[in-house]
Amino acid sequence: MTARQAVGASGSLTSSATGDEPMAAAALPAGAGDDRSGARRRRRLHLPHLGLRARITLAFTLSAALLSTLLAGTTWALTRESVLRQREAAATHQAYINAQFMKGQLSGGVNEPDQLLAQLSSLDTGQGSRSLLQVSGQQPVNEVASFGIDALPAPFRRLVDGNTPARMRIKVDGEPQLVIGIPLPSVNSAYYEFISLDETQSTLESLSVSLFGAALVTTLAGAALGLWASRRTLRPLADVGVAAEAIAGGRLDTRLRQIDDPDLHVLVASFNHMASNLEERIERDGRFASDVSHELRSPLMTISASIEVLASRRDDMPDASARSAVDLLVADIGRFKQLVEDLLEISRFDAGAARLELSEVRLDELVTQAVGWSSERSVPVDLDPALSGVVVRADKRRLVRVIANLIDNAQKYGGGATGVELRKVSDGVRIAVEDQGPGVPATERDLIFDRFARGVGAHRRSGTEGVGLGLSLVAEHVSLHKGRVWVEDRPDGAEGARFVVELPVAWA
Amino acid sequence: MLPSDDATDSRTIDAVGTRILSVEDDERIRTAVKLALEDEGWTVDEAGTGEEALARFEQAPTDVVLIDIMLPDIDGFEVCRAIRRSSDVPIVMVTARDDTHDVVAGLEAGADDYLTKPFAPKELSARIRALLRRVRTQDSGSPHLRFGDLEIVPAEGVVRRAGQDVHLTKTEFKLLVELASSPGRIFSREFLLDKVWGYDYFGDGRLVDVHVRRLRTKVEADPANPHHVVTVRGLGYKLQT
Repeated sequence: MTARQAVGASGSLTSSATGDEPMAAAALPAGAGDDRSGARRRRRLHLPHLGLRARITLAFTLSAALLSTLLAGTTWALTRESVLRQREAAATHQAYINAQFMKGQLSGGVNEPDQLLAQLSSLDTGQGSRSLLQVSGQQPVNEVASFGIDALPAPFRRLVDGNTPARMRIKVDGEPQLVIGIPLPSVNSAYYEFISLDETQSTLESLSVSLFGAALVTTLAGAALGLWASRRTLRPLADVGVAAEAIAGGRLDTRLRQIDDPDLHVLVASFNHMASNLEERIERDGRFASDVSHELRSPLMTISASIEVLASRRDDMPDASARSAVDLLVADIGRFKQLVEDLLEISRFDAGAARLELSEVRLDELVTQAVGWSSERSVPVDLDPALSGVVVRADKRRLVRVIANLIDNAQKYGGGATGVELRKVSDGVRIAVEDQGPGVPATERDLIFDRFARGVGAHRRSGTEGVGLGLSLVAEHVSLHKGRVWVEDRPDGAEGARFVVELPVAWA
Repeated sequence: MLPSDDATDSRTIDAVGTRILSVEDDERIRTAVKLALEDEGWTVDEAGTGEEALARFEQAPTDVVLIDIMLPDIDGFEVCRAIRRSSDVPIVMVTARDDTHDVVAGLEAGADDYLTKPFAPKELSARIRALLRRVRTQDSGSPHLRFGDLEIVPAEGVVRRAGQDVHLTKTEFKLLVELASSPGRIFSREFLLDKVWGYDYFGDGRLVDVHVRRLRTKVEADPANPHHVVTVRGLGYKLQT
């Protein structure tokens, strides 16, 4: 049960990782053609469909952004309020002192505007502050011309005129100012002070820049953390993927390393359990095929030896039907033996037990000998002079079988081989066998190398000669040599097929 | 694979009176093989177990032994080694599987050749005839050949190393004489398979390799660093002083 769960989990992972992209790519051109809105809808559905790693990273990033913005915003609001409050308190305190002083001056008889202006200028106001004194019924005495009494909003002035001290933040010519109005009823005047908040403002601005920067850095750190965490979290899954791929590629002994993590322990254990079951089963299947073939060899030995005895007495047999029965036995025992040999060979490939027996092989000699050993020894052989006497390391038995099987195939289905060719190519050698049959249609050119595929038009190939293992063994032998085999049309345009085998050789 | 062109001659010469001991536990196979071999003119003795085979070998003169590897009591390899301790009679191993392990193990146990079931009895006859063929003395040229401390007398079938007689099987002797027929020349595996075992191009190169290894343990002072029977990488073997 747990094994099945593990399969399901990894299965859905691979399908989301690999299955989606080609689907989306395929959907686009189709949608562009007839159903634009459908394509757009599908695209909208696909865009947010992110991978697990992307989703984890995104979640980390968004959380970091949200948290850092919240923190920065709160910090800014609190700091701003506190800074402004302090500034206001200090300014108000100073303004009262200044107002008291001016009140003293006025009650002391100083009332000429020039004198008052001189007094105002002597006041201890902070950097960037200006004072203004409004004596009722007179022009206000103003330290700086640009800050007239008109700059004050009417309600504020009304408040001060009504003998209520007031404080307000305003903007004069775009500059933030704190204005404090203190009524001086005993001398029938009002004292105003404008305090520039420029400096405070720039302090706050630089603070907000710092906070924004900090938030940005935190967000980026969150993204990086998310990326790291997702990688780390998904590493076991990635390992599972790699291992599954290795197993699919035939390395059946692949296992995951045991890990202590209790969350992942089940996955690893289930995966390994599944892998061992699979390996065991495939081995059992391979052993079964091999055992069966070996068991077949014993009776086959008895039968073939007995048939030989019968065959040697064939001509002494008085009965014509007994003679034809012997002929039939002799004819088919060979096919039967070949079939058992081919099945054994295939079971070795299936069990992964097929190994190359490498030896030094003279290629031209090998091709000539293989043709001489095949069912059609008189096929013309065209040898590349560049390969004359050239020795390569190869499995002689397998290569001979490849050539002989291709010639047999040509004889059975291609009206007989018309030529065998050995050519040197840049990165190896090419062996080609041509026949004069109907050729192989393009749609069947891959299938023809499958087991028991008698290929094109079963009726045409319904002859009793073939069992359909020859070409699949050719493909197996060639791929064991890391080579390629394919079938194509004859280059001379004549009717017939051309089977080509290319084997890699590192020419020094 | 099939008997060479002098098959009819050698058949009358070799087969008549030549006794083959066939060791095989499957009675039906044993009977069928005996029938087929007798058809070819050989005289066949039978043994169903390893014990029986060794007992028969002691009692009756035997010219060739045919041993199935899978035997119920003592396995074929052990029977082969036991026979080799006292005799250089040609031995043909029969295996049901042609994997390298069985083939090489059989040859190292002392077999001269091997066949994989199901084989054609005609082919077995051809193999036996090739094993029984005598060394053609004209191949060796002079009656006495010397290679350093190694001395070969082809006509007498004698090999001495440092004055001491060296005991070789018939096949090892044929192989050595073949190499000695042209000292310094490189012999390919295919050529040796043809000359010594009577195989065409499709013989098994492992026959040559294992026999060379066996030969070295007998004629070389240090078999791991051979001085006489030398491997020429990629080409074959040669004999030198």
